[in-house]
Amino acid sequence: MWEFWIRSLNASTIFAIAGLGEVVGQRAGVMNVGVEGAMLFGATIGFIVAKTTGSYLLGFLAGIAIGALIGLLHAFFTITLHGDQVVNGMGIWILGFGLTTYIGSPYAGPLGMGRIPTIGGLSPFFFAALVLTFVIWFVLFKTHWGLKIRSVGENPTVAEVSGINVVRTRYWSVIFSGAMMGLAGAVYALDYNPVWSYNLLMGWGFIALALVFFSMWNPYILLSGAVLFGALWQVSLNPESFLPNIFSRYIWRTFPFVITIIILVIMSTHWFSSRWGAAKPEALGLPYEKD
Amino acid sequence: MKLAGYTLKLEKKASFSGLEAILISVVAIAFALFLVGFIFLQAGVNPAEGYKAIFTYAFANSFGVPLTINRAVFILLSSFAFIVPIRAGLWNIGMAGQLYFGALSAFGVAYALGARVSGAVLSPWVVIPLMIVGAIVGGGLIGAIPGVLKGRFNTNEIVVTMMLNFIGYWVVAHMIKEGGPFMGSGGEGEGYKLPASIQAPVVSGVSVLTLAIALILAVLLYVLFTRTRFGYQIRAFGHSPAASRYAGISPFKIAFLTFVIGGALAGLAGYHYFGTVPNLNQIPKNYGDFGDMAFYGIICGLISQGNPLAAIPLALLFGGLTSGGRYVQGKLHLSYGIDYALLGVLMIVLVAFQFFFRYRFVLKKES
Repeated sequence: MWEFWIRSLNASTIFAIAGLGEVVGQRAGVMNVGVEGAMLFGATIGFIVAKTTGSYLLGFLAGIAIGALIGLLHAFFTITLHGDQVVNGMGIWILGFGLTTYIGSPYAGPLGMGRIPTIGGLSPFFFAALVLTFVIWFVLFKTHWGLKIRSVGENPTVAEVSGINVVRTRYWSVIFSGAMMGLAGAVYALDYNPVWSYNLLMGWGFIALALVFFSMWNPYILLSGAVLFGALWQVSLNPESFLPNIFSRYIWRTFPFVITIIILVIMSTHWFSSRWGAAKPEALGLPYEKD
Repeated sequence: MKLAGYTLKLEKKASFSGLEAILISVVAIAFALFLVGFIFLQAGVNPAEGYKAIFTYAFANSFGVPLTINRAVFILLSSFAFIVPIRAGLWNIGMAGQLYFGALSAFGVAYALGARVSGAVLSPWVVIPLMIVGAIVGGGLIGAIPGVLKGRFNTNEIVVTMMLNFIGYWVVAHMIKEGGPFMGSGGEGEGYKLPASIQAPVVSGVSVLTLAIALILAVLLYVLFTRTRFGYQIRAFGHSPAASRYAGISPFKIAFLTFVIGGALAGLAGYHYFGTVPNLNQIPKNYGDFGDMAFYGIICGLISQGNPLAAIPLALLFGGLTSGGRYVQGKLHLSYGIDYALLGVLMIVLVAFQFFFRYRFVLKKES
C-alpha cells in the first residue's frame, strides 16, 4: 500500500507541474491545448541530452529550454500574429507528436543511468512540485506581477489603459508555461519512467489540460486533482491489488480517461458552474488587438 | 516598413478567393516539404533524391500506387470526420477512437454471423452491407458522446474526443489480445481474419467499394454544406454561435448531429482499412499506427478549408507521402517515423500560414 501511494505521488508530480504551467498561461488569457506536445518535446529532448551527455542536470535544462521555446512559438503565433489559440495548440501537439517520434526513435530504450536518488521513495520533484504550487499561488494572488498576469487575462483593454504592457506580460506567462510543460515531460522521461518509446506520454498532457479546467485556475485545487489522477493512474496499472478479476488489464487502462470525461462533465454542468464557475479568466482564448 | 518610397503594410482581409486559398495552401505544403528536406540532409540523404524516391514509389510503382490509394481513402474519410464538426466550429480530434469502435463494430457484426469459425462461407451480399452499417453505427455512437456533452453541457470537445481515442485504443487491445473474443487463430495479438467469402471487392490491389463510397460521400457532403438548410445552419453556427442561437438554431442539435455524422464517417474509415484492404482483412497488431494516420485528416480538413471536394487531391497527396515515406525509410536507412515528422511539420507550417488567410501585405506609394 505504501508503495502504491509513493508511486501515485510521483505520477501526480508530472500532472501538477504541467498543469501549473497551463494555469499561469490561462490566467494570462492564453490557452495552450498542446500541453501534450510541449511535454513530448521536453521528455524527448531531455532524454536525448541526458543519455548523450550522461548528465541529469543538462537533461532537465534541455527539457525546460525546449519547453520554453515551444511556449515562445505559441506566444508568437497567438499574441503577435493573432492566431487562433486552439488551432495553434493543436499545431503544437501534432508537431510534438510527429517530430519527437522521428527524433527519439534512434534513442529508444532505457536511459541506462543510475536512478535519481529518492527521499523515502518519493522523487525530489514531488517536493519541487509542492514548492512550485505554493510559489505560483503566492505570485499569482499576492504580488504585483500576479495582478498584472491576472488582469491581462481578465480584461486586456483595461489592463493596457492602466499602464500594463499586455503583450509583454502575456509573452512571459506563455513562455514560463511552456518551460513548466517541458520540465514535466523531462521528469517523466528521466525520473518517473526512464525509458523512451514512441508517444511515451500516452495522454498525460491531455489529462493535465483537463485538470486545469477542473482546478478553477487555482494551484492548490490543481495539486489535489493531480494527486487524485496520480492515484487513478496507478490503480489502472495494478488493478489486481484492488479489485481482482473484474476486467481485463486493458479495460482497466481506460479507467483514468473515463474518469477524466466524467469529471469534466460534472465541472461543466450548470449546477457546478453557477456555484464555482466565476474563476474562469474572462479573456481566455480571445486574441488581443490594440487599435 | 518602408522600402524606397513605398510602405509595406499589413491589412486585414475581409475574405479570400478560392484561387488565393489554393495558392496559400500550395505554398504552405511546399514550404513544409522544404523544411523536412533538412531532416533528409541531417540523415545524409540528398532531399531531392529522397522526394524523388517517395513520389515515384507512391505514384508510379505497381506496389506503391494501390497502397497510396487505399491510404488516401482512409485519410479522406478521416478528413470528412473532422470537416463536418469543424464547419460548426467544433473540434473532432477523436477520429482514432471512432475508427477503432467502427472497426470493432464491423468485425462484431461479422463475428455474430459466424465469420470467425474457420472455413466459414458467408454471403457477401448480406454480410458486407451489414458490416458497413455496423461501422457507421459504432463510430456514430462514439461520436455521439462528445456531441451530447458539448451540446448539453458545453464540455470541452477536444479533451473528450482525445480521451475517447485512448479508451478506444485499449478496448481494441482487450478485444484482440490475450484471449479477447476477436483474437485471431494465430494468437499473436491480432484480430481474426475475415473469411475469403466476405472480403470486399478488390481491383489491382485497391479496395474499390470503399473508394466509391468515399467519393460519393465527398459529393454528398459538398451538397449538404452548399445546398441544404441543415448545411447552412452548420455554417451559420460555425460563424457565430451566439447569432445563430438568436436565429433559432439549436446548439444541441448542431453539436449532436455534426459529431454523430463525424463519428460515423470515421467508423467507415476503420471498416475501410481493416475490413477491405487486401492482405489485411483483420485488425492488425499495429492498429495504433492507423489511429495516428487519421490525424492527417485534421491537416487535410484544415488545408481544404472544410471543403470536402478540395480534400480529395490533398488526401491523395498525403496518402502518397505516408506510403512513400514508409518505403524510403527502409530503402534509405532513415530512422523510424519520417512520415510522423512530416505530419508534425506540415501541421505547424499550416498553422503559421493561417496568418495569410487573415492578413495581406499591401504596398502603398508614399504620398
